[in-house]
Amino acid sequence: MNRTFRCVDGGVRVELRPNERALLVHLLSEVCELLDDGRGGESDTGDPFEQLVGILPPVDVDADAKQAPEALQDPALARLLPTGNRQDAQAAAEFRRLTEHGLRVRKRSSLDRAGQALNRRPPVVLADDEARSLLTGLTDIRLVLAERLGVRTEEDTERLSEALRSLDDPSDPRLALAALFETLAWWQELLVTALDSPE
Amino acid sequence: MSLAPSELEQSDVREGLEPQAPWVTIVWNDPVNLMSYVAHVFRSYFGYSSQKAELLMLDVHHKGRAVVSTGGREQMERDTEAMHEYGLWATFQKDV
Repeated sequence: MNRTFRCVDGGVRVELRPNERALLVHLLSEVCELLDDGRGGESDTGDPFEQLVGILPPVDVDADAKQAPEALQDPALARLLPTGNRQDAQAAAEFRRLTEHGLRVRKRSSLDRAGQALNRRPPVVLADDEARSLLTGLTDIRLVLAERLGVRTEEDTERLSEALRSLDDPSDPRLALAALFETLAWWQELLVTALDSPE
Repeated sequence: MSLAPSELEQSDVREGLEPQAPWVTIVWNDPVNLMSYVAHVFRSYFGYSSQKAELLMLDVHHKGRAVVSTGGREQMERDTEAMHEYGLWATFQKDV
């Protein structure tokens, strides 16, 4: 029985603990910052995830750059705002020019909506649009985390789960992120299930 | 490799609007998005039935990609942008 997210009259009731909600609010706001292109009037703070995972080795940016010359430098940002055409670089660049800023603004507004809703005093009941914003926000957070963890293929995901289960090297800084990544996946699964099967 | 659900089921809300359907929107597999979420997006955005959404999701998962909509270029660009908003990696291209 899914108790974490439950459909009730007027929305989805959230039964996460206060510290879990605070964690989500924090992550939502970090992705929100990452998506800020500075055209919204806020100061450019760089990549907030750097602080969280600064110890990890840098990821290979070149591979992405070769594949998509117009793509963004930060691979996590490039995954949030991916190339729209893999065959025609000019069409891809034009698509990015026309859509990127709007996408950033809409994503940020959605992340913000989810964060604000989770910040309300309990019992937290998400309205339909807030629940959908949280659902997509969980994807955005997980996409960024996956890039930072170097998860590009399904084998990478399995390797990560395996490392988490066996705990070969408890000092590996990736394990905390890997655990977070799996927890977020679990919450997202529960939320999508709640939204797809209302009472 | 015995089923091609996306080719078997071409009926959707937009059928008839674009008889030529020369452009397509493709969603690519990725290791992050949950299968349940991908199917949820196909239902929510395209209005596809649960069955069609599920088949398309499985195509993405097993074949690495699936054509999720067909139509004029502008509509395919809109669909691609919408998929990006949901966090799926989509591209538009001319159908071949």
